[in-house]
Amino acid sequence: MKEWLPFIVAGISNGSIYGLAAVGLVLTYKTSGIFNFAHGAQAAMGAYLMFEFRERVGMPWPVAGFLALLLAGVVVGLLLERGAYGLASCSLAARVTATVGLLVFIQGVLIAIYGAASLPVRPFLPQKVFDVGGVNVRAEQMIDVALIFLAVAGLYLFFTKAKLGLAVQAVVDDPALLGLAGTSPVAVRRFAWLVGSCFAALSGMLLAPTLALDARLLTLLVFFAFGAAAVGTFSSLPLTYLGGIGLGLGASLATKIIGGMKLTGPIQGLPANLPFIVLFVALLVTPTRKLVERGSQVVRRPLPPVTFAPRATAAAAAVGLAVALTVPHVVGARLPIYITGMAYVILFASLGLLVRTSGQVSLCHIAFAAVGASTAARAVGAGFPWPLAVLAGGLVAIPIGALLAIPAIRLSGVYLAIATFGFGLVIQRLFYSSMFMFGGTFAIRSPRPHLGGLHTNTDVGYYHVVLAVTVACLAVMVLIRRSRMGRLLRAFADSPTAVDANGTNTNELKVLVFSIAAFFAGIAGGLLGPITGTAAAASGIDVGGFDFSVSLLLLTVLFVAGRQPVFSAVVGSVLLVIIPSYATGETAVKWNPIIFGSLAIVAALFGGRSLVEWLASSRRLRERAATNSPQAERALRGDLVLETVR
Amino acid sequence: MSATAEALRQATDAPDLVVEGLTVRFGGLVAVDNVSLTARGGVITGLIGPNGAGKTTTFNSCTGLNTPSAGTVALGDRTLAHHSPAWRARLGLGRTFQRMELFDTMTVRENVEIGREALLAGKRRWTGRLFSTPAEAVVCGQEAEEAMGHCGISHLAARTVGDLSTGQRRLVELARALAGDYRFLLLDEPSSGLDVGETEQFAAILSGVVEREGIGILLVEHDMALVRAVCSYIYVLDFGRLIYEGPAADVLSAEIVKAAYLGSEAVEVA
Repeated sequence: MKEWLPFIVAGISNGSIYGLAAVGLVLTYKTSGIFNFAHGAQAAMGAYLMFEFRERVGMPWPVAGFLALLLAGVVVGLLLERGAYGLASCSLAARVTATVGLLVFIQGVLIAIYGAASLPVRPFLPQKVFDVGGVNVRAEQMIDVALIFLAVAGLYLFFTKAKLGLAVQAVVDDPALLGLAGTSPVAVRRFAWLVGSCFAALSGMLLAPTLALDARLLTLLVFFAFGAAAVGTFSSLPLTYLGGIGLGLGASLATKIIGGMKLTGPIQGLPANLPFIVLFVALLVTPTRKLVERGSQVVRRPLPPVTFAPRATAAAAAVGLAVALTVPHVVGARLPIYITGMAYVILFASLGLLVRTSGQVSLCHIAFAAVGASTAARAVGAGFPWPLAVLAGGLVAIPIGALLAIPAIRLSGVYLAIATFGFGLVIQRLFYSSMFMFGGTFAIRSPRPHLGGLHTNTDVGYYHVVLAVTVACLAVMVLIRRSRMGRLLRAFADSPTAVDANGTNTNELKVLVFSIAAFFAGIAGGLLGPITGTAAAASGIDVGGFDFSVSLLLLTVLFVAGRQPVFSAVVGSVLLVIIPSYATGETAVKWNPIIFGSLAIVAALFGGRSLVEWLASSRRLRERAATNSPQAERALRGDLVLETVR
Repeated sequence: MSATAEALRQATDAPDLVVEGLTVRFGGLVAVDNVSLTARGGVITGLIGPNGAGKTTTFNSCTGLNTPSAGTVALGDRTLAHHSPAWRARLGLGRTFQRMELFDTMTVRENVEIGREALLAGKRRWTGRLFSTPAEAVVCGQEAEEAMGHCGISHLAARTVGDLSTGQRRLVELARALAGDYRFLLLDEPSSGLDVGETEQFAAILSGVVEREGIGILLVEHDMALVRAVCSYIYVLDFGRLIYEGPAADVLSAEIVKAAYLGSEAVEVA
């Protein structure tokens, strides 16, 4: 028994911190309907600010901590309240993209300033060790647990007793009514965001000393909070807090058990990934009636994507193909970048089919590509002809996509987004290193093809192979969009209820579209590996690797790139892959997430229209406004002047 | 079923919609309490009652959008229990929604065509789910043209639905339901948001549908003028219970109904 105690102590103290972060997350979600994917990034921000004030400016830790809390908690909280208000009536994709964009943005800024390597943090709470019933407990741990318990208990009492606390409950149900009753819903929301953000920042500051300062790791660890929030069905604060402690304990004890039994294989990753698994399972088994979609259900009527005349489309396609064919003669040694870009066109197009055409959300798209890349590489290794191997990559991704359709059938809206996020993390952290995928070294050989007498293994030759595959994939996707299924998917994005009521089962549609998107992402993955000759699960946000953060970037960039099925895929790829490659190495990687994160936030706030569309559509919008009302139409013709004067 | 209702029934093959002992609970709230009603094929039956009486909940039970705690729903000789909304649609039960469920980014023609295409896609297997045959495309186009014609929205065919006025949108939703090959239609407050002129037009369209297609319609409606103009038989719900039923003229003058629901304004109309 005694050997278990240290693990229990560590579990409870870490779990408390997860619980704190989770309570803050649930609080803001309940009051605004905006699920803040950037919650973890806020925690990291708090930790870094404290580090800045304490280590670089040289303030004593209480002052540094207070200032960090003020900035990352209070100031950011108030800003977020404004942003959340602006997002309230946006489409789901916009709401998810905005906070994912914020996550990408904050993380990008932190890495740009402090670098990607972890920085050591001196503990600030007392480290004195006490002997409690035969087990050593640090004062820091006791303070953490007590402080967080008081904060959460205080918040809970406040909710059940105080008037503003009750108002927070009311603002969820009917903000307008609350306003009529004399309590400003804005004040209530502001309070919720303020407390939620402070909890996030505080959790980051408390975690940093035991973890070291690492923007990615801190962000990821507060994703633990998602698991705890799921235990509390994204609604109950006490359950969420207890869920956090439970997860901390579970992870700690699992470490002990698996370490003790000397187990190997994917199960070794279990303790560190317990929260994601709990998150995913909780979303699969919680009765759907408990997973209430929070926030405004009155969503602005979506605008249709700008469409171009068939002749213009054909001309653009011809020009695009001509440009693509001249690329190898112009770009010289940069050609591999363009091959990557070409594969990314498929990735973006398949994500667009899922997100733009069908109105679903996926935060794990790169995981499908990873499955495709590793499968294709292994298939070539096993002696398959190259084209069959790439096809196999796509085919193996299909059941994975269909698997993701299970939560997609049960869940809608933000819960689906969260589930896909957890799904991507589980695949990456449990299976990337397995022998089915990249193996322990996270890299396997992925040779280029030898097709007949063609020199398809040179850069130029392989470029043409990838170009041909890309054109074929795009053609199929355009065909799908124009087919019966495409029409049903577009209808499905606008109103799933109506599609069901008209005789087509939307669950089948979901399985189909997730499978198709996964297939094409798998193909794209299969094409990516041979560019360098190695399919590698590179970590971090490097394009070409398969880290989950690439999924986040894909979504944010797609949102900026527009809604035309092919055009937006090309724009997205140019924005994400081609342009940054021309900036000098180091800087580009730094600035990518910052630029795309902020662009996605802006695009989401401005009604979900992409920037490209804004430029293309202002004239059309004016025309539409005119034809909308007969008066405006007449005014346009000049007939209305008399009436106005009268 | 009373003798009067039986007499009102016209000669038609269209199935009846039969609800028996329907009870729907949401937690502690009994939204619909042991409601039985029969909506005959070939005529329009009204379902009226104050807000919150359980009308839409009854509709949702019929089309499979909620799970009743007790009771059965049948279309003709087929029991609908435990089947998905899509299955019920394929069996021939179409509906519109009180809060319109339209495909806002698509054109009017596309919306109406999907009324038929979604039904066809649901009935076909394998590739038929994904791709339409040329013959099917022709059917969808023709049905859509016809339905838009009946609803008087042919001139709007190329407009985006999200840009239209409420009255026009109601007509698009009706046209979409008409384009489907339905044997019974449930219309949920189709005239709310329409002005007097539009409502009269709507009444004419509904009567035309029943005459032409011989199908049955169950109509939830607040507009008493419309109800009087088109319904042969009326059921009245209040607090989830059926409080009255009878031929249209009788119901609108019945004291219990006036007290529960109609109020002075509606009495004037009557």
